[in-house]
Amino acid sequence: MNRHASILIRLSLRNIQRHARRTILTSTAMVIGGALLIFSLTLGDGTHEQWIDSAVRMGSGHVLIQTPRFQASRKIEDRLSSRSRMLAEIALAKDGITEHVVTISPRLAISGLASSPTGARPVQIMGIVADAESEFTVLNDKVVEGRYLIPADGRAAYVAAGLAESLDLQIDSRLVLTAQDTDGEIASLLVRVLGIFRTGIPEIDYSLVHIPLSTAGQWLSTSSEEVSTIAILLDSVNSVQSVTSALQHELKDILAEGTIKVMSWRDANPEVDAAVKIDNFGNYMFQSILFTIIALSIVNTVLMSVLQRYREFGVLQALGLTPLQTGSVVLIEGLILSIVNSVSGIALGLFVTWYFWGDGMDLSALSSEEWSFAGIVMDPLIVPSFRLVRVIQSLVFIMSVGVLASVYPAIRASTIDVAEAMKFER
Amino acid sequence: MSEQKTTVVQTLDLWKIFEQEAEEVRAVRGVNLEINRGEFTALAGPSGSGKTTLLNLIGGLTRPTRGHIWLSGHDLTTMSNQELAQMRLERIGFVFQAYNLLPVLTALENAEFPLLLQGVQQEERAQKVRTLFKRTALDGLENRRPGKLSGGQQQRVAVIRAVVGEPALVLADEPTANLDSSSSAALVDLMQELNRELGTTFVFSTHDPMVMERSRRLVQLVDGSVVSDKTSNSIAT
Repeated sequence: MNRHASILIRLSLRNIQRHARRTILTSTAMVIGGALLIFSLTLGDGTHEQWIDSAVRMGSGHVLIQTPRFQASRKIEDRLSSRSRMLAEIALAKDGITEHVVTISPRLAISGLASSPTGARPVQIMGIVADAESEFTVLNDKVVEGRYLIPADGRAAYVAAGLAESLDLQIDSRLVLTAQDTDGEIASLLVRVLGIFRTGIPEIDYSLVHIPLSTAGQWLSTSSEEVSTIAILLDSVNSVQSVTSALQHELKDILAEGTIKVMSWRDANPEVDAAVKIDNFGNYMFQSILFTIIALSIVNTVLMSVLQRYREFGVLQALGLTPLQTGSVVLIEGLILSIVNSVSGIALGLFVTWYFWGDGMDLSALSSEEWSFAGIVMDPLIVPSFRLVRVIQSLVFIMSVGVLASVYPAIRASTIDVAEAMKFER
Repeated sequence: MSEQKTTVVQTLDLWKIFEQEAEEVRAVRGVNLEINRGEFTALAGPSGSGKTTLLNLIGGLTRPTRGHIWLSGHDLTTMSNQELAQMRLERIGFVFQAYNLLPVLTALENAEFPLLLQGVQQEERAQKVRTLFKRTALDGLENRRPGKLSGGQQQRVAVIRAVVGEPALVLADEPTANLDSSSSAALVDLMQELNRELGTTFVFSTHDPMVMERSRRLVQLVDGSVVSDKTSNSIAT
């Protein structure tokens, strides 16, 4: 076979050149398909990273440490103990974890009631450390009036715009927050509105209030170290898996006690995770349909070329090629076309990706309103995300399609009746 | 002293039956034939007499319905496809009515194709092929593709391709059918020369009376059966 490989490759190359127009048409389909594939993948990844980043920065963080029951209960009694918080912070300072950590935001979150002279509304109250949360959240960028909290603030509140409107609150207005404290007693806190923000997400804009963590602790009678959540922002969504695993390893003893839980953004935002999976599935379906059409066009082209060369395959076998070697000529043609066209298609797709990399693809013209779902805001400016694994996946996928599409024609070429093939008129 | 005869081809009760729309077509019926080394044999007969089918059977291009074919002592009927391909590569050369050169290869590449498959080194290939090109007045046409050659030139390239690997047997199916009379005569001259000088055994089918006259042995087929088998002394050797 090795002795014959160079002859088979030479024959394949010459046959590819033989019908230049047909080769160009098939190649164009494969190159455009490849370019569309890599561009849609990078664009999809960019979109999903933006969704995840939005979800992460709107509140959850890439990784969260809570008690196992807090996610469902949102109750003050399901807060982390001082010991749990200390052990978590020690683990976060370990090598292999700390270098991925951008910021850590301890929070005390609780459901309660906000009231003003105009009325009362149920709210989510979040005690935060102003410095840490400023680095973490995007809420401070969403200010429409006043300012975000600073460490010097005491009885101050940063209030969502919808809530402010429904309670007729302005900057400097007084607001009473009421919630159950650690003793199970109803406790109230009078705060002054320092800032009003709007995210575009109704479930946040009508319910969220930020107050300083120290104020919340005093109000709800928690110790100074007790929080309900430690939210962690990482350098990249790609670090989530390794950091979560490392934290689980470092905290395995306390995890075994059942008083703490390490969660990823997927656990904290299951609807965003589902949206990413559904969107990916849709993309894969689209790509599968696209490549099924391309594969059929390759099968058609290669098969037509095989049928036209029926007599030649007979001659090759009469001259001493085995049926397997005769089929190999066709398979090599498919392989050469696939390699050249997949590399060209990926290169074209990466060029288009690179073009949109800097400024992104602005889709704001499609809608004047802000798009939101599942507690996140969708940025109409989509920036593609380049990942080497996508390039490798695309190359393997296109080459596989090209080679698989050549298998049937190759089988046809290898199973000819040589004597019949000699009678074949072109 | 009698000449030592070596049998190149032997068939024994050879049958080929095709199934065509629930009807049996008996293309070859119980043919017993023995062809010795160095023979220049014509298979003649009307259309449908089984000439091409018999050549295909001897060349291992199609399998018999029953009977046996031995080529240089090897029974083709018991061989795998792989073994048949090897047998064709090493021991048989083919010349076809429609030339059947590979259009993507040049005349030279077509001619040396069997040597390439046999793994003969480039230098030896070039020397052998160029000698034959010169001898057949094809020198200077080595780099032309088949489409740029006349019918006679293409058939001469096909003959070179058939003999270049020094096979035990060359099978030619109506080799002059697509050629004019002068090209036909030139081609038969060439085949006779090669037969004489290289000792290559030629078996060819033909309708052409001129070719039949110049063959040394004439096997007549009618309806798939051998009806006469004559050795002629009319052709000078």
